[in-house]
Amino acid sequence: MAIAQAMCTAFKQELMLGTHNFATNGNAFKLALYAEGGGGKSGTTATLGAATTAYTTTGEVANSGSYTAGGGTLTKVAPTTSGTTALTDFADISFTTATITAMGALIYNDTNSDKAVAVLDFSSNKTSTSGTFTIQFPTADASNAIIRIA
Amino acid sequence: MFDLNVGTVGSVNIMTSENGGLSNDQIAEMLANKLIYISDDAPEPIRLQAEAFRDRVRNLAQYYIELARKEERASICAKVREAGQVELANAIGRL
Repeated sequence: MAIAQAMCTAFKQELMLGTHNFATNGNAFKLALYAEGGGGKSGTTATLGAATTAYTTTGEVANSGSYTAGGGTLTKVAPTTSGTTALTDFADISFTTATITAMGALIYNDTNSDKAVAVLDFSSNKTSTSGTFTIQFPTADASNAIIRIA
Repeated sequence: MFDLNVGTVGSVNIMTSENGGLSNDQIAEMLANKLIYISDDAPEPIRLQAEAFRDRVRNLAQYYIELARKEERASICAKVREAGQVELANAIGRL
């Protein structure tokens, strides 16, 4: 599979090195959209998964509407805990007036050399046509939050 | 020994639209999804009850989102009309 949902392995190591700061006044994180089957800009295809270490333009969707190369900046929700699980969350993000077909996304640290955090697999192509493309993050709890360490 | 269990990534929900923004229905669905999570492992009777409740929340949200959009358009119409753009105001009013 060219895009496989995963928490990037390098990210796990970088957590131990203190590379990523999810506090609301910490690092800036972005979300970029990717396509398979040559649907990325210049006919490229994304290959993303646990081995991804940083943001790449290969397979990224083309600029359209409010979507520009590199994607959009995520609004962070301060990390918290629930039981024995630590979790963090982001506000939903939308790209408007955009014609986009994407199969997945990459969350990465824009402050620290675009280091990869997590790959999101949409399971199928999602398309907006001169419209809105919204990514809704899951409920921020111990069972569903977008990034959890149990 | 310290054994850190694996980190996990949650599943996102994608909403898209054509030739315009998201519909009232889609926004209401997003709200209901965020507000009420029903576990796949929930016992059947509880799951059915929770789903019924989520449907009611979604319907209520849809009604008020529609109302909010209508009232917002009415306010915009009034401002545009005040500015002398009667035709534009009428067009917005017909949305």
